[in-house]
Amino acid sequence: MSADEEYKEKLIASVKKEVKQVMEESVTRKYVHEESGSVTSLCGAVETCLSQGLRRRALGLFKTSSTTALLHKIAKHCPEADRISKKVQELENMDPNRRSSSSSDSVTKPTLKKNLSFPSSPLPRYLWIRLALFDKQLSKIIDYLVDNASKYYDKDALVADPDYGSLLSSLLVGPCALDYSRTKSVEQFWTDPPADELVQRHRISSGHSTPPSVRRPILNFRRSLNTSSDDSLVLRNATQHLAKDYVESLHQNSRAALLFGKNNVLVMPAKDDVTEPIPGYLSLHQTPSSLTIKWTPNQLMNGLTEESQDKSIYWDYALQVRLDEIVYVHCHQDSEAGGTIILVGQDGVQRPPIRFPKGGHMLGFLSCLETGLLPRGRLDPPLWSQRSGANSTTKRRRPLPALSETEETTKDYVFRIIDNSGHKDLLKRNDLMDTKASLPTKVRVQLCSTSTSSESSTKSFSIDQQVVPDSPPSVCIQAVCDSMKKQIISRAFYGWLAYCRHLSTVRTHLSGLVNSKIINGDDASEDRLVLVSHVASIRFLQYGATLGHCRSGNLQSSSLDKSLSYENTMSEWLAVEAIVRQRDKEDQAHAIAKLSSESMSGDQVPNEIHRDLSNEVFEETVTDDEDSGSDEENRTSTKPKKTKQNTIKYDSDEDNDDREKSLQQNGDKSNESVNSNENQRRSNDGETTCDNQLHESIDLELDGDKDELKDFIHNVIVTNASIDISNVENENPVSNHLDAVTEENNSSLDTCIETHGLASPARSTCVSPASSNGGVYTQELLETFGLNLHRIEKDVQRCDRNYWYFAGENLDKLRNVMCTYVWEHLEIGYMQGMCDLVAPLLVTFDDESLTYACFCHLMERMIENFPNGNTMDCHFANMRSLIQILDAEMYEQMHAHGDSTHFYFCYRWFLLDFKRELLYSDVFTTWEVIWAAQQVASTHFILFLALALLEIYRDIILSNGMDFTDIIKFFNEMAERHDVAAVLKLSRELVLQLQLLIENK
Amino acid sequence: MASRKKILLKVIILGDSSVGKTSLMNQYVSRKFTNQYKATIGADFLTKEVTVDDRTVTLQIWDTAGQERFQSLGVAFYRGADCCVLVFDVTAPNTFKSLDSWRDEFLIQASPRDPENFPFVLLGNKVDLEPRAISAKRAQQWCQSKNNIPYFETSAKEGLNVEQAFLAIAKNALAQQNSTIDLYNEFPDQIKLTNTQKPSGSGDSCAC
Repeated sequence: MSADEEYKEKLIASVKKEVKQVMEESVTRKYVHEESGSVTSLCGAVETCLSQGLRRRALGLFKTSSTTALLHKIAKHCPEADRISKKVQELENMDPNRRSSSSSDSVTKPTLKKNLSFPSSPLPRYLWIRLALFDKQLSKIIDYLVDNASKYYDKDALVADPDYGSLLSSLLVGPCALDYSRTKSVEQFWTDPPADELVQRHRISSGHSTPPSVRRPILNFRRSLNTSSDDSLVLRNATQHLAKDYVESLHQNSRAALLFGKNNVLVMPAKDDVTEPIPGYLSLHQTPSSLTIKWTPNQLMNGLTEESQDKSIYWDYALQVRLDEIVYVHCHQDSEAGGTIILVGQDGVQRPPIRFPKGGHMLGFLSCLETGLLPRGRLDPPLWSQRSGANSTTKRRRPLPALSETEETTKDYVFRIIDNSGHKDLLKRNDLMDTKASLPTKVRVQLCSTSTSSESSTKSFSIDQQVVPDSPPSVCIQAVCDSMKKQIISRAFYGWLAYCRHLSTVRTHLSGLVNSKIINGDDASEDRLVLVSHVASIRFLQYGATLGHCRSGNLQSSSLDKSLSYENTMSEWLAVEAIVRQRDKEDQAHAIAKLSSESMSGDQVPNEIHRDLSNEVFEETVTDDEDSGSDEENRTSTKPKKTKQNTIKYDSDEDNDDREKSLQQNGDKSNESVNSNENQRRSNDGETTCDNQLHESIDLELDGDKDELKDFIHNVIVTNASIDISNVENENPVSNHLDAVTEENNSSLDTCIETHGLASPARSTCVSPASSNGGVYTQELLETFGLNLHRIEKDVQRCDRNYWYFAGENLDKLRNVMCTYVWEHLEIGYMQGMCDLVAPLLVTFDDESLTYACFCHLMERMIENFPNGNTMDCHFANMRSLIQILDAEMYEQMHAHGDSTHFYFCYRWFLLDFKRELLYSDVFTTWEVIWAAQQVASTHFILFLALALLEIYRDIILSNGMDFTDIIKFFNEMAERHDVAAVLKLSRELVLQLQLLIENK
Repeated sequence: MASRKKILLKVIILGDSSVGKTSLMNQYVSRKFTNQYKATIGADFLTKEVTVDDRTVTLQIWDTAGQERFQSLGVAFYRGADCCVLVFDVTAPNTFKSLDSWRDEFLIQASPRDPENFPFVLLGNKVDLEPRAISAKRAQQWCQSKNNIPYFETSAKEGLNVEQAFLAIAKNALAQQNSTIDLYNEFPDQIKLTNTQKPSGSGDSCAC
């Protein structure tokens, strides 16, 4: 009965859920598409409701879709149904292809598989419901069905139920009032609601601005049974478990055979507060040692799902009687009320009367009892002899006179239970049996103690043998209760133990994530300044300080050195860049030439040749060097390469032509050509100056010309990027002069750098100080840097180009910083995402060298996140632990979906310190908090930010049952739209929460 | 959410950085082009419903990071793919040269049941740009050498051929999924056979 109710409740709940979905969809999208998934689900739910309890046989509904047949049947009486019925028939009469296409959307996955094997079979499953819904007739049809339910439905059907039936039809009034659209626009093709819609729906269903931590405590020790506050919960849970176990023990199981079971047996418990007999379940169990009669109130049997009631009182009523304590069985037969049995114990105390309902149940019970007593005991006088002797009309009338003196009326009898075996013998045996039987129990307890979860799978309840035997019968139930209490306490203890272990996990695994010292707002006022400051000037200084760029905080004094070395580095790679450009151009020209000639066979060969040629381009300078007469010893190392001079010279001439051509062709290339032009000229000029003199002047240059040098290089490098080529050519005399200076500076600086061991090893090993600026580089170096250069260029162009700062030439600055970093860290190389990290720094400083210096410091931490490091996996693992500890519910869901434990949706967050997730202004704030948190609270603050981000949307994630892919999509769509203030606040709270958890020793 | 999903076809877009993977995906799904895309970090996907052979299917198109260093992430995303789209830039020869490694890497990481016949589709993107470095003939030759991969020349900017290409992708993906289902459903005897073969296949990929 109750199972039925439950099922109906479930059906109605599913309809409610689907109606809610459809209505939400209509609100957020302004319309619902006919083929929307939610419509299909709704139709499915309605169909299930309508098929429940349908009198198929009586109505002769044997078609595949009985509800469709039902529709056709009621069409005679119900005009709405008639209309729909006709439409359905129309559709069904169409050609099969058309039909299958119209049905395809309503086919769910399992049926689809069927379709594949029987491709021509299916009719659209919810077709008529669908049509009725679109026609706004569905609620009326169901109204009709409900009104006439007796005709078509079983008595206990959902539709026939006065409450549920009308509830169903009124639920559908809403969806029937909607307009369903047929037109397919692009967005309607999408099955999953976009993030916007999800957020909006969430607002509809839960009201405005509800921080998750307020409504639902994040700290949720569902498993771990917190000792203090959750005690009641623990007990209730434990009771539930026990009750479940107890009910299961009433079934036949491996340790006890069920000899008899009857429900609705009335018992009047021997308690003061009970005035009426209570119905319950009577059962007779046989274990190796004994027979046990159990009676359990109905409230305990089926009320397990309702938690509202306090059921502990019923446990007092429950009966448990061991038959070896019973001597007499009194039977009173009452023609009207069935029969009553009263058990009398060895001490003469009567057990509460057990009243059987009518229908020979008492006789059944007695015969089962007699069978169960065999072979050790028997009923005296035996029931069987009487029954076999007497015929069925004189039921229970006993001709045997042995005990007839107790018989007052003809219908009352008394049986004595006789134990055949000797009493001591039996006891011994019982003991044996008991120990045997209780063994598994003990093992089980041990198991329970080893498993940390309180959900250990104890299926049985150890009331039946172990606890009870020696207790006097009157306190039998009390003993049961005691044992239950013991179990409850033990479970609570194990729960507590598990919680302690859990906490120790927290401490060992997560304590590294936060500082143990909790600093509240007052103590950290200085850092608070950082946290809240948005003033650019403060930020300017703080960035340097928090990143550790200059520990003294004296940014200005050190910046000069920094910029100096920065520009030196830059001039180095600019030279290489020029060479790379040159080669690219030739590559491209070659490729185009090849494409036009379409010579497919000689694919690789020209490439090789070409490579050699381009190599010569830089060697040229060296060989020129030698020609110009300086005879330094170390130069001889390059001699073998000298052989192709002529070609080279030709090559460079051609270059000039090329350059001019390309200038005319595309303006973008011009800058690069300028650089290469510049570079070559520089190297050529370098030869004319006296090396010795240069070496002598190094110190002077370095000391005196710092500023001049800085300015100058700025001019050459930065401004050249925008200078028109014609200007450069017109100013040839000037630039020649400048070049000379550059040359001096460069070479002197190079020497300086080399003596400091700063230059990249690839360079310093192969060239002499003097020629290095001219650019003799290994092939490998060139290829590596070239590859990186191309990648940087591609990404710089794409990086934040919609942000105002990067609208103009500032992108070149970004590129310069990036190239400098990669040049200095060629072994790391460029990786996608680095640009995103440089950009906010550059926006703040608007100064390349400072940005570069800060970026270097930033990368010290971030580099490990990139694919060659392993921090990302650590982050994921930590994230997992954090969610497990701080939001068990979310963890459960993610765990259920399995693959979402990868946490790849956090990848971009961690890689870029949330830069892509937030707006620029928010990025500044967030980064400041992350950096400041390093000093104050946690070196892994990003984890808490990530967790906060998840928590902000936890209700959406949970209520939509999002899996791994859904979460990725959701957050990608939500990028740059988060409420950063809320996220930051929550993440601070989360840090504090973990700190408190760890501190709470 | 999962219950409302119909036939889901998972498609992975691979190729060197800035060949136009993100643009292609967005052009196809929302029919618009912008030059504002940033380099993809991690992975993203969009879904779109299409009707293929009278059947409505949902394409789940995964856009990945183009730098090969990020391929190590692939395992998580490639799993369960029904089709792999390789993209190169017809004006950049290097993007064409690396197609082989993308294909091989995908087969290793996704370890599909039948690598020989796993559906790939090749897209030569940016045909609106000049000068061209890879001819259609050369791309087609490559396709022929890889078990006749379908080849399309597209322009995400102008929406050229994008629709057709993705329709072919959906068809191939659907065929792939059907063949997988057939293997499971209609020939239960064969499951054993594939099971015995599987360990060797997955063993290769699990070299880590």
